Amino acid sequence: MFINYEHENHVYNVTIERRNNFFFITYNNTEYKVEAEEIKPGQFKIKIADRIIKSIITEGEKEKFVFVNGQVFKVKPIELTGKKKVRKKEEGNLSSPISGKVVSVKVKEGDSVKKGEVLMVIEAMKMEYLIRAPYNGKIKKINFKQNDQVEIGQSTVDVDKEV
Amino acid sequence: MFKKVLIANRGEIAVRIIKACQEMGIKTVAIYSDVDKNAIHVQLADESINLGDPTPSESYLNIQKIIKIAKDTGSEAIHPGYGFLAENPDFAQSCKDVGIKFIGPSSKVISLMGDKIAAKTTMEKAGVPVIPGYHGLKQDDETLIKEGKKIGFPLLVKATAGGGGKGMRIVHSENLLEQSIESAKRESKSAFGDDSVFLEKYLDKPRHIEFQILADEHGNVIHLFERECSVQRRHQKIIEETPSPVMTPELRDKMGKAAVAAAEAVGYTNAGTVEFMIDEKLNFYFMEMNTRLQVEHPITEATTGIDLAKWQLRIASNEKLTLKQKDITQRGHAIECRIYAEDPSNGFLPSTGTLSKVEPPKGPNIRDDTGIYSGMKITPYYDPLLSKLVVYAENRNECLNKMIWAISRYVVLGVTTNITFLNEVLKHKEFKKGNISTHFIDEHFKDWTVTKDGLPIDAIISLAVYDSLHTKREEITRYKEADPHSPWKHVGRWRVGGRGI
Repeated sequence: MFINYEHENHVYNVTIERRNNFFFITYNNTEYKVEAEEIKPGQFKIKIADRIIKSIITEGEKEKFVFVNGQVFKVKPIELTGKKKVRKKEEGNLSSPISGKVVSVKVKEGDSVKKGEVLMVIEAMKMEYLIRAPYNGKIKKINFKQNDQVEIGQSTVDVDKEV
Repeated sequence: MFKKVLIANRGEIAVRIIKACQEMGIKTVAIYSDVDKNAIHVQLADESINLGDPTPSESYLNIQKIIKIAKDTGSEAIHPGYGFLAENPDFAQSCKDVGIKFIGPSSKVISLMGDKIAAKTTMEKAGVPVIPGYHGLKQDDETLIKEGKKIGFPLLVKATAGGGGKGMRIVHSENLLEQSIESAKRESKSAFGDDSVFLEKYLDKPRHIEFQILADEHGNVIHLFERECSVQRRHQKIIEETPSPVMTPELRDKMGKAAVAAAEAVGYTNAGTVEFMIDEKLNFYFMEMNTRLQVEHPITEATTGIDLAKWQLRIASNEKLTLKQKDITQRGHAIECRIYAEDPSNGFLPSTGTLSKVEPPKGPNIRDDTGIYSGMKITPYYDPLLSKLVVYAENRNECLNKMIWAISRYVVLGVTTNITFLNEVLKHKEFKKGNISTHFIDEHFKDWTVTKDGLPIDAIISLAVYDSLHTKREEITRYKEADPHSPWKHVGRWRVGGRGI
């Protein structure tokens, strides 16, 4: 079976087959022959050549979490069939890093801004987060005003890049 | 001793206090907001009362509701934990007014220490060294700018009512002074309802070292040595240890005496912490006093063998401190790592979600003060502290090895945490040498990301095995139908919509 995993915007193509008591896993033109045991649900002991991998896997709503060698990796399995829509981050769309309240808006529509200039200040958990211009440009649209509630991921300010 | 105590907090600290009470045979009352109804502190307490709406002001910060619950349940005392109402003088006073013992110092002392300006003035008078600065009442921009120039740069703008780095700005040059003052004032206004600030000389690469004190209501004050808390992000601690790698017996004696003098100067009672800044020449300056049990109190408990939470209860019930300064000793070394639901590769922003698995490490001298469990939802309402991992060993080097062992085995899945980050800090060669300051994280981990090398082969193999064992038959058929000659299967690792690797 073929599976693609997405991790941090990279896709990993893996094939796996079970024969006898072994798993044959192919990744990046290398085949790994392993023996595996699921000790407890989601907890694995995998024997590969002369070493043992101990890992724990749980499933979230959309993603899987892998704990291995003290590190956690968040991975999304992606559909093999059907083309994956490439989600290109729209340039100049500054999404809020956090849910909070807009405490001040430093610019207005049509303003020219310099890279790094503070455009908006959002407050959450009693901390301030600054939305800064990603490049020199012109303010196209401001999506929130002072005292508005903004949710994580919502676009705060649109900036047209100076050409 | 009290028969029943209400714990006005949540998370790991509520759990820790309930356990101390239960060991002492004291009945406990937990309070909880709607999102915390399955929380560990709720399950553990003898009684648990719902506060409703999870918004802090409607729940854990709601003085009237909490006092009413204390009265209704017949609680004789309230332990505030840390955060929330722990340093709120109105709360301490409200408790007193209805005849409930507030487990902490008096309302007056909390007020005084909460006012950073008044606190410094008091300490200066008591002969405790303080950092040069402007603590005046004139708060107009002109005065502040003039005073700022007098102190020189870099300098610090700090909210008078602040704490935990809120309403604090470092100003490196004169032209940034005005905007920093303005923004510190605004942040302070919204967080504390008070926009007065003070200015002080900014020490280059200082250490943050604090002393634990215990003071009873009969005039006895002792200190329980220092905690080194220099490793911070966003001005909040993430790793603490004791003893401090730079401490000498002479300095410890001097600072300990200053801490006791500070407590005596204000008639302090119960457990408290005197925070100092130390410069590279080991000059120390009083910074502030925390009038509560600290997050990092377990490392002191590990090295002194003294249970601070239990002493808080004894002192509050008017018992005498039977511990004498000369009898208190410190042995071995302890380190605490604070496990936060936050993303170190994204400005340490708090993360939320459901914890799909939680499995703390177990072993000799490993303590995990926790408020989390598998299946728990992490909401944005409260502080993102999940748990505190504390280890103890004979010396610093062994302690560090133990912590690295333990934290590498701390499984928290489902929500992004700082565990991997902490692990890398512990392994950093300068941290190993004890060469730390409050700038340590900024200096060495500025643009840190967790995934430098992508998904390791061990993770890929584990996932493949997992999916092979867990994929349902019909899904396998679908996978098989996919084009076996697709070029995607042979290119290995590639990047979505981006540049080459």
